[in-house]
Amino acid sequence: MSREFQRGHKAKISDLTAGTDLYVGVQIGGPGLAFDISCFGLDAGERLSDDRYFVFFNQPQSPEGAIQLLGAQAGDTESFRVTLDRVPPHVRRLTFTATLDGAGQMSQVGPGYIRLVAGGTEVARYSFTGAEFSTERAVMLADVYFKDVWRFAAVGQGFDGGLEALLTNFGGEVLEEEPEAAPAPGAAPAPAATPAPAFAPPQATAPPSFAPPAPAPQHHGQPQAPTPPPPPAFSTPPPAQGYAPPPGSTPPPQPPASGPAAHSAPTLAAPLAPPGYFSGGHTPAGGTVPPPPPPPPGVPGTPHAPYAQPTAPTQVFATPQPYGTPAVPAQPQPGPHASYGAPAPYGAPAPHGAPAAHGNPGVPGLQAGLDPYKEVPVGQRWALQNAKLVRVDLGADPQPVLARQGSMVLYQGKVDFAYKGAGFMGRIVGNATGQEMQLMRCTGRGQVFLAENSAHLHPVQLENEGLCVSADAVLAFDESLHHEVRRIEGHGIPGGALFTLQFHGTGTVVLKTHGTPVVLPVTNATFADSNAVVAWSAGAQVVVSSQVRLRRSAYPGHSGETVNLQFRGAPGNFVVVQPYEV
Amino acid sequence: MDQSLISGHAPTPPAARMENHGSNMLKVAMSSGHDLFARTGSMVAYEGYVQYEPNPPAVRQMASQWLTGEGAPLMRCTGDGLLYLADYGADVVCLQLTNESVSVNGTNLLAFDAHLQWGVERVKGMAKFAGQGLFNVVVSGTGWVALTSRGTPVVVNCGGGDDETYVDPDALVAWSSGLRMKGKRSFKASSMIGRGSGEAYQLGFSGHGFVVVQPSEDSTDRLRARG
Repeated sequence: MSREFQRGHKAKISDLTAGTDLYVGVQIGGPGLAFDISCFGLDAGERLSDDRYFVFFNQPQSPEGAIQLLGAQAGDTESFRVTLDRVPPHVRRLTFTATLDGAGQMSQVGPGYIRLVAGGTEVARYSFTGAEFSTERAVMLADVYFKDVWRFAAVGQGFDGGLEALLTNFGGEVLEEEPEAAPAPGAAPAPAATPAPAFAPPQATAPPSFAPPAPAPQHHGQPQAPTPPPPPAFSTPPPAQGYAPPPGSTPPPQPPASGPAAHSAPTLAAPLAPPGYFSGGHTPAGGTVPPPPPPPPGVPGTPHAPYAQPTAPTQVFATPQPYGTPAVPAQPQPGPHASYGAPAPYGAPAPHGAPAAHGNPGVPGLQAGLDPYKEVPVGQRWALQNAKLVRVDLGADPQPVLARQGSMVLYQGKVDFAYKGAGFMGRIVGNATGQEMQLMRCTGRGQVFLAENSAHLHPVQLENEGLCVSADAVLAFDESLHHEVRRIEGHGIPGGALFTLQFHGTGTVVLKTHGTPVVLPVTNATFADSNAVVAWSAGAQVVVSSQVRLRRSAYPGHSGETVNLQFRGAPGNFVVVQPYEV
Repeated sequence: MDQSLISGHAPTPPAARMENHGSNMLKVAMSSGHDLFARTGSMVAYEGYVQYEPNPPAVRQMASQWLTGEGAPLMRCTGDGLLYLADYGADVVCLQLTNESVSVNGTNLLAFDAHLQWGVERVKGMAKFAGQGLFNVVVSGTGWVALTSRGTPVVVNCGGGDDETYVDPDALVAWSSGLRMKGKRSFKASSMIGRGSGEAYQLGFSGHGFVVVQPSEDSTDRLRARG
């Protein structure tokens, strides 16, 4: 399912996945190299007009939680969770960057990648190697940007200069070590006036620089309370995070990119920002930044289910704390927890270690444990809630949905379910194969959750295309799709023939498979077991190839692979096969 | 033997009373004085000194109406050590209650701290619909509860507005106590004639709270089926 991107490739995210809750994983590394991976939330002018959307290790999430830093997990050096429909309208481009921390240059980087994961499956991957770079100190890996719709672009552009240069490039501001840079109590709530939490170098004594997502300003968006002075434990950052320049330094001189142009892509010169950005005020581009919306209640920073592997320290802090609890910095250092190799996938482990620690006050309770399973935001007609559950929103488009009977697990709103006979052909299917293809028509207004028997679900969007689906792999589809029953006859197929539904038109079909399926391109020798095949593009022609051997009649009841379907078709056709023989 | 491929599955030091090991196994850090109630038959492994008391007297009384004529499907686990529980590969969700209360479908309850208050309730209105009725266990207090779900569950908030939330009773896992519930027959009578299957009955929830639903309508009690 994953799509490989090359440098410069772009795609609509809606073409990659129906979901808007994305996981972005970056793997980058090299011998002796350490990286800071961050996400810049830029405005339409590609300026970092709002510091709070610079998500990095000192600021692990944006105010409303649309962008969250999750830490290393699942083979990724760093990972983010991005909820696109919660990204505020003034943030139009999310740029994912990796900057070298310490000595080294990008040409020393080993093979790495940035990938997009939605609903538990990887949908896009851009792989790179150090050979594409030379002496750069940073690389802009990929952009998720909004142009009519959200899109993904593999950038892979090197950048001379480290994180600070990158920041200045985007119009950000690197704070010098200034004690008064700390947000003064009662400061104006304009976010731009309190850039300290974001950019203070860790060595600086600016208090909030390491107060991990200081609950009050972060969650409420407005520093209505003076930030407590830092506890001593946090004033010295771990060495691994000392990326910033020595206190008081300006962006450090970088090794000039005068090396041989081993890389074809142009390298940006470091300071592109207009001079105005260097002067103290740092006025946000585009006027005032709207105050951040308060976080939705009950959606604290706990990561989503597949992402919830709190191994990194930042993760521990990302577990929701009661707002404004001043005790947060006094939480025990998460250091020991980082050593737990195994993920605690449900995101709710209490940050304290004692096994018999129930009843510890200040620990998120029920909601935190359930938070990874929250309903995905409303918006699309078909949304994959998780790998096994799909939600159809009947609100916007009143068009009915046909679903397999008994597949509804939950609905909200006023939805009417009516029996839908499969018609004459459907009855033939039922009679011939012994299984009824019984449908129900869901009409009305509301959301319906469909699932069946923990099968993996795959919404497929057809745009005037054709798809043949094995009759028992259909879970639901838009009634706008024209569908008819096709029959594939062949000796040896159970029931005498294989019945498929051929869909044509524009709409969505939800397939269900047992296990993760494989999508094979149709070549001139593509075979599939007739029991395991799920779907194929309508352009592929199906031929039954029976391997009749003498042995078969000699040993009645033998269970070899006798009947296969051969697929023929023009390039571009595909076959979907599940790891399960019905 | 080269164990590099399976070394990633080694147990990790416990960080909390209950944790997941993978998505389908529950790891409980047992310590004496903190007993645990677990579904009978759910133990898959344990380390240390843990004792099991099936059908303890206290439970027998509480769960007498769980299913008539059979012993209570809970065992009391005591001792020190690490206890691993699983339910035929179902997903496990650990919840930490802080003076909260949750209702869990009887077949979806895996384990809970013995010091929590709990009781068995019969879901009103459902008994006359479904054959065996639906039993749920209300657990409240401060402590840990582990649920099972066939597939990754979803948590849906009941808005408390006009729209009620309707759930297939076979897919229901848990809900916050305090929600009002009622049975509902959603198919029209005309479409019911001769068509037994389908979305015949739902449970309607209204009020403020959440409902946890699994992506499967397999509500059979596998631990019990073993006998």
